[in-house]
Amino acid sequence: MATTAAAPRPAAENPLAALRERLAHLPRDARDTLFQLAVIAWTIAPHLLHLPLWCGPMAAVLLLWRAQLALRAGALPSRWTVTALLVLASALTLWGERTLLGKEAGITLLVVLMSLKTLELRARRDALVVFFLGFFLVLTQFLYSQSLGTGLWLLLAVWGLLTALVLAHMPVGRPRLLRAGGIAARTALLGVPLMLVLFVLFPRIGPLWGLPQDAAGRTGLSGSMRLGGVATLAEDESIAFRIRFLGPVPGPEQLYFRGPVLSTFDGRDWTRLVPNFPVESRPRLNLRLKGSPLPYEVTLEPSRLNLLPLLELTPDTADAAPRVDGWLFTLRSDGQWQTDRAINERIRLQASAWLDHAHGPTEPVLGLRDLVALPPNANPRTLAWAAALRQRPDLRTADAHALSAAVLQHIRTAGYVYTMEPGSYSGDAIDDFWFDRKLGFCEHFASAYVVAMRAMDVPSRVVTGYQGADEKAQDGYWVVRQRNAHAWAEYWQPGTGWVRVDPTASVAPDRVRLGRSLRSSPGLVDGAINTFNPALAAQLRQLWEGANNRWNQWVLNFARGQQLDLLKKLGFESPTWQDLAVALILLLCGAALAGAGWALWDRRRQDPWQRLQQRTAALLQALGVPVQQHHAPRSRAALVRQRLGPAGEGLALQLEWLDVQRYGAQGTRFAPRAWWPGFKAAARGLARIADGPR
Amino acid sequence: MTPAHEAFGATAQGQAAAGGPAAPASRPLAAGRAGDLGSSWRWSPRAQFRRWWQARLPRSDTWQLGQRNIYILPTKAGVTFAMTLAVMLLAAINYQLNLGYALTFLLTGAALVSMHLTHGNLRGLTLHLRPVAPNFVGQPAQLEVVLTNAGRERYGLMLLFEDRARFGKASAWCDADAGGQSRATLSFVAQHRGWNDVPTLVLATVFPLGLFRAWTIWRPAVRVLAWPLPEDPAPALPSSASRSEDERDARRGAGSELDGVRPWRRGDTMRQVAWKKVARSGELVSRETAGTAARELWLDWSETPGADVEARLSRLAAWVLSADREGMDLGLRLPQATLPLGQGDAHRVAALGALAEFG
Repeated sequence: MATTAAAPRPAAENPLAALRERLAHLPRDARDTLFQLAVIAWTIAPHLLHLPLWCGPMAAVLLLWRAQLALRAGALPSRWTVTALLVLASALTLWGERTLLGKEAGITLLVVLMSLKTLELRARRDALVVFFLGFFLVLTQFLYSQSLGTGLWLLLAVWGLLTALVLAHMPVGRPRLLRAGGIAARTALLGVPLMLVLFVLFPRIGPLWGLPQDAAGRTGLSGSMRLGGVATLAEDESIAFRIRFLGPVPGPEQLYFRGPVLSTFDGRDWTRLVPNFPVESRPRLNLRLKGSPLPYEVTLEPSRLNLLPLLELTPDTADAAPRVDGWLFTLRSDGQWQTDRAINERIRLQASAWLDHAHGPTEPVLGLRDLVALPPNANPRTLAWAAALRQRPDLRTADAHALSAAVLQHIRTAGYVYTMEPGSYSGDAIDDFWFDRKLGFCEHFASAYVVAMRAMDVPSRVVTGYQGADEKAQDGYWVVRQRNAHAWAEYWQPGTGWVRVDPTASVAPDRVRLGRSLRSSPGLVDGAINTFNPALAAQLRQLWEGANNRWNQWVLNFARGQQLDLLKKLGFESPTWQDLAVALILLLCGAALAGAGWALWDRRRQDPWQRLQQRTAALLQALGVPVQQHHAPRSRAALVRQRLGPAGEGLALQLEWLDVQRYGAQGTRFAPRAWWPGFKAAARGLARIADGPR
Repeated sequence: MTPAHEAFGATAQGQAAAGGPAAPASRPLAAGRAGDLGSSWRWSPRAQFRRWWQARLPRSDTWQLGQRNIYILPTKAGVTFAMTLAVMLLAAINYQLNLGYALTFLLTGAALVSMHLTHGNLRGLTLHLRPVAPNFVGQPAQLEVVLTNAGRERYGLMLLFEDRARFGKASAWCDADAGGQSRATLSFVAQHRGWNDVPTLVLATVFPLGLFRAWTIWRPAVRVLAWPLPEDPAPALPSSASRSEDERDARRGAGSELDGVRPWRRGDTMRQVAWKKVARSGELVSRETAGTAARELWLDWSETPGADVEARLSRLAAWVLSADREGMDLGLRLPQATLPLGQGDAHRVAALGALAEFG
C-alpha cells in the first residue's frame, strides 16, 4: 500500500508543483499570451503610483480577464465591448484630469489602451502594436523617475518586451521562453556599442518647445511658505543636489544653502518681499567677505525652479561665482542666486563660498521698514507677548542681539517640542503654536521667531533653503536631500548687518548639528534588515547610495557640458555641438565601412577543407595530373601514381595520409596548416625535377 | 501559432498585380521555359521589372545563400517601429531625459543588430530540391526543399512561391537546426501536361524582431512531369483486351507453390504482397492469384476518338489506370513511341510518363 500512497498525485500533494506542471503543459498560444500579459503588467506597474486610482484596478481586471480567456481558450470579447470600455476609460480620464492631452491624462490613456489592446491580441500585428506601446510607456516612466532602481526595473521590462517580440517570430513548434529571452538579450547586447556611441555623442539640444506646465513642481522649495508645507518635504528622501568640497570640508552645522528669502507675512503665508520703497532706499546686499574662500562643486538635480541653492555665502565675483555655459546666474540683493530659467536638467557647477561673511546695510535705510511689517489683526497674543518682553527692564534699551537671545531663551525653556508631525494649525497659527500647542518644526520656529522679533521692531526675515547633508560622503560627494529643506531666520543689527539665527537649533540641536531630521518610518524590508542587523542595513544602504551616486554622475548627469569636455579631451580646440554631430556621423560612417569590408571579406571566405582541396588540385594540375575539384585525396593519389609513376609515390602517400586524416575512423583533428607546406614543397621539388632534364 | 502572414503580405499583394490569374489558361500547351515567366508579355513596368529580375537569376539545382542573393528591406512593422523611436527621441530631447536617450538608443541598436541577424538567418544556408514525384495535371505535387545549415540554428524560415497570385498563397514554416538538414514542403499544382518548370521559390524570414524581412529568390532547375488527367468517369477498356494463357504460364515461372504464395520478386506490386503472411512469417511473399496471370492489353493512340489531343490522352491515361488496377499486362502504342507489354508500378509510371511527354 505504501507504493500506492507514493503514487504521483501532485495536484493534491503540492499545489505549487501542480501549477508549474500545468504551466509547462499549456498550449503554446496560451503560454505566449500569459507571458505577454505578465510583461505588460510589469511595464504598467510602476505607473500606477502616479495614475488615478481607478486606473490600476481597471488595468488589472482587463489583464486578468485576458489571462483567464487564454487559459480557457475562450473567445475574445467583441469589438463593441472593447470600444465601450475605451469610451468609459476616456470619460473617466476626462472627468479626473479635465483634459485628454496632458501628461498624466496621456499616460493614463496609454495604460488603459495597452490593457485593452490585449483583448484584441489575435494576429501578430496586434501584438506588435502592444510592444511598441510598451516601449513608449517605459519611456514615460522616466518622466517621474530616472533612478537606478527604476532603470533596472524598466530594463527588465524592455527585455521582456523584446523577448515577447522574438517569441512572436518563432512560429514553429514550442520554443522555450529562455531561448527567446536569450536571443532578445543577445540582440540588445550586440546593439550596446552603437547605443553607447549614440548616447555619448548625440548632441544634447535643449527642449524643442516649451515644457508643458505639468512638468513643474518637483521640489518642495518654492517662493512661498505656509505652516505645514515643509512637513511633507521633510519626508522626501529624494536628492536635491550633491556637493563636493575642493578644499577643506566644513562641519554640517555650517552647511546652510540659501534659497528664497521670505520677508512678507500676511498672517498665513510667507512670500517674497514686494518692496514699497524706491530702489535707492532699499537695503543692498553689501557683501563683506572675511577669511579664505571655500571652493566646491555642486551637481543639481532638476528642480523646475529658477534658483540655485548655494552655500552661504557665494559672492558674484569673477573667481567665485558659478558659471555654466548657456545659463545666466545672478545674485539677488537678498543673497539668493537666481537663474534665468527653470532648471530642467542636471547642472554641474563650481563656485566658492565664504563661510565667514557679513552682508546687508550697516546703517539704517528706509527700506528696512518693510521688514518689520506685520499684519495688524493676526496673532494678537504673540504681539502682546513681544511687547511685554520689550518692556522687561533689562531689555528696554537692548539691541537686536539681546532681544534675539531673549526670544531664543524663551524657545529653549518654554517647553517647545520639535516634531515632524505637529498637526495642522489654523486661524492665528503663530498664537496657537507659541502659547498652546508648542509642537512644530523648522518653519514654525522660524516664522514665530520672526513675528516676535518684528513685534519688537527688529527688522527680520525668514530664509528657506537646505541645511546639512547626509552623514557620510560617497566618493567625496555629500548628498543633500529634499528632507534637508530647512527654514531659518535673519535679523538686522545696526553696524553689523544681517545676522543668521536658527531658532530650530535651540530646540533640536541635532537637526542642525548632524543635519538630520527625524527619520520617517522605514520600508518593510528595510525595517526587517534594520532590526535583524543594523550594521548590514547601513552597509547595504551605503552600497546602494554609492551605486546611485555613480549612476547620477555618469548616466543622468551626462549633458552637453560633459560631451564638449569629451571632445576637448579628444583634441577639438573649441568644440560646438555641430562638432559632436560631425564626430557622430563620421564614427557611424566608419562603422558602416568596416561592416561593408567585413561583408566583402566574408564573401570570399571558404571552408578550409574546400580551400585546401582547391589548392591541392591546382598544384597537381600544374604537374599534369588531371584531378578534379570533387576528387577525394585517395582518388587523387591513384591518379598521381598512374600519371607520375614511382616519382609521384611521395605525393601519393601524403595524399593518402590526408584522406585517412579526413575520412578515417581514427582520424585525428585535421590541421591543414600543418599538412599543406610539406605537400607544397614536395610538389615543387617534383616540378623542378620534371623541368630539370629538359 | 501566430503566423507572420502580415509581414509577408506586402509582397503578395504587390505580385498579385503583376501576375494576373488568367494567364495560365490562355497559354499554349507546349509552353517552354520562357512561358513560365508568367504573363510577361503583358506590358507593365512591374512585369518588366520582374522579367528582367528573373532573367538575371540563373536556374540552379542548389542555391547557396550569401551576400549576393539575399535581399533585405524593412517591414511595415519596422517602419512603425522607426516612427515610434522618432517620437521617443523627441520626448527624450524635450524632457531632457537621459534615460530616455539611453532607451531610444538601446532600441535603435537592437533594431540595427536585428537587421544583421535577419540577414544572417538566411546567409550560409544551402537549398536544394528533392526529386519531385510526378502527378496528374491539376493535382498537387509536393516540392520538398531541403535546407542544409552549416552554421548556427535558424528560426522562422518561410518558404513560399514568388508568384503567389499564380501558384497559391501556401507557405511552409520551418526552423533549421544547427549543422543539420531540415525540410519544408510546398504543394504545387502543375498547370499543363508535360514537363513543368518548378515555380520560382522565395525563402523569407523576419526573425528575430520582425522589423526587417530578408528573402532570397530561387529558380530551381528541377522540372516536374505532369501526367494527363485521366478521364472521369473512367471509360470501359477497349475490346482488344485479350487473354494469353501462354504468357501467364511464362510469367508464373517454375517454382510456383500450391497455396498461391511465392517469394517476393522484383516487379511485384505492393498490392500483390500477402501482408498477413508477411506479418506472420517475416518473409516477403507475394500472392499468386489469377490476377497475376495477366491479360494482355495494347492501348493504341488510334483507338481514341476525337481530335482533341488532350481529351485523347486523358482517355488513354484512364485506360492505363484501369488496366493497372485489373492487373493486366499493358502495352502502349503512340505515334512517336511504343511501350512494350509490362506490369506493375514502374510500368504504370512509365506509361503515364510516355503520355505526359506526348507531342
